[in-house]
Amino acid sequence: MQKKGSQVSKKIAISITIVLILIATAALPLVVKKDSTINLAILVFLYVTLSSSWNILGGYAGQTNLGHAAFFGLGALTTRLLWLSGRPFILSLLAGACVAVGFALLIGIPAFKLRGVYFSIGTLALAQILYITVGNVFPMITSLPTQALITYQLVPRYYLALVLALLTIGTAYLLVNSRLGLGMMAVREEEDAAESLGVSALQHKLLALSASAFFAGLAGGAFAYYHVGYYPQFPFTPVWTFDAVMIAYIGGTGTIVGPIIGGIFYVVVKELLALKLVELHLIVFGVLFILAVLFLPGGLVEVWSKIQTAFARRARGQEAQAALPRDTGI
Amino acid sequence: MSFLKVERLCKSFGGLMAVHNLEFEIKEGEIIGLIGPNGSGKTTTLNLITGFLKPNSGTIIFAGENVAGLPPYRVCQKGIARTFQLTKSFPNFTALQNVMVGRVYGREPTTNLKAAAEEARESLQRVGLLDKEKVLAKDLTLMERKQLELARALATKPRLLLLDELMAGLNPGEAEEAMQLIKQIRDSGVTILVVEHIVKAILGLSDRIIVLDYGEKIAEGLPEEIVRNPQVIEVYLGKAHA
Repeated sequence: MQKKGSQVSKKIAISITIVLILIATAALPLVVKKDSTINLAILVFLYVTLSSSWNILGGYAGQTNLGHAAFFGLGALTTRLLWLSGRPFILSLLAGACVAVGFALLIGIPAFKLRGVYFSIGTLALAQILYITVGNVFPMITSLPTQALITYQLVPRYYLALVLALLTIGTAYLLVNSRLGLGMMAVREEEDAAESLGVSALQHKLLALSASAFFAGLAGGAFAYYHVGYYPQFPFTPVWTFDAVMIAYIGGTGTIVGPIIGGIFYVVVKELLALKLVELHLIVFGVLFILAVLFLPGGLVEVWSKIQTAFARRARGQEAQAALPRDTGI
Repeated sequence: MSFLKVERLCKSFGGLMAVHNLEFEIKEGEIIGLIGPNGSGKTTTLNLITGFLKPNSGTIIFAGENVAGLPPYRVCQKGIARTFQLTKSFPNFTALQNVMVGRVYGREPTTNLKAAAEEARESLQRVGLLDKEKVLAKDLTLMERKQLELARALATKPRLLLLDELMAGLNPGEAEEAMQLIKQIRDSGVTILVVEHIVKAILGLSDRIIVLDYGEKIAEGLPEEIVRNPQVIEVYLGKAHA
């Protein structure tokens, strides 16, 4: 009974925390007028979206995709082209996500013939091919037209990034707590066993890949909406993949909270380091990534749960002591 | 009508004929033992039936339908479940989650996870593992992992259950428990094909026994016939004993 009560109160505490975070993030642009802070928040949301989307396939379905930048890039490219040619932005954004999913399905069926590290190498190679191709087809920088520059506002970009982050996290949460999520994780844990129990590994991998590509494509669309001028091949650079992977690992793969904590940690530390060390922050993150993989395979989320269990054990220890008779003379 | 009918089944790996023109039938409600020396094609046969390997030729008729060449998950949905020789649990899942996968996907798929969890508990109860439902599979002992595989296979609601060396690595007491359990499962209406290395265990369990050697069936019959069959004694002990 007591245990159930504490579970309920824990649920309430989590709900309250979520609502508070929602209110705080929704109200931020109304309270904070500094552009640099808003920019930083947009970056956090973009990275959380990108990393959470990678996590659906990489963390939950166990397929380490090293070509995630391709989906981000395709979302950015499609959205930008359509939007700047005068189509409504929302339609352009959705089209970008759909193109990313289309490409994902196209490469997914052959790529999933490969298992483990070969899948990773295969996806990396495909993304690199796309990166170079886009660089050759669209060599010119893409800039917002003058009219758009004059009316450019940061706040809509902020809300777009926020909504996308929430949408990705929410979908990931619903997905992994559903039947399909159970199947995806079973495939991650032991593919043959999953198949022997009626789970189609290929179907679940393709589903995870599509969801992953869809939200990465949306993140790319937000990037295209946010940036004033960039080379079209820039969102295709493998850095976007590795950032997403690193954030997921530092925060904790295969968890909902991991990419959120990782994303905040990554952007904040990167900003602090970039001020002092310029490009050297890459080395710092490289080392952090290796340390996380070696000593903290569960990421920062694991640190938190370890602290919690340590406290719980301590509390239990004290209770046990209190339960002892006082006058035993010890 | 036979429940499972294997006809002219062939499988080769490179130049090696792992299974050659294999033919046998199983009736509903039987416990069939499949024995043979190392490399005689027992596990290959099991992998062919469950779709983990595609046969070069031949048919596998299960309940009137050819299942040869279907992918493993389709074979499971048709009602054929299996366990693995080297246990393949989902290591970071709890015992309950392991079994739930079988219930949720299996022969009668469902999206109701709550009800599935209840039924998964029943499967755990059946194999005597309910007290470990919250333990991660990677923290279970070998015996417990074997029980878990069985519970998981049962949760798919199979009509035919293939057990690949379930008793290997168990001590005599545990093996005896496992035998009782297999009989109970048969009595609940599941047909069973047992692949086993330990001849003694299989003799007491099976209604009929099929003996393989070099991928071919060399004998088939009642347990007491099999132990007296000179050809069987020869492949197990050498010519001098036959």
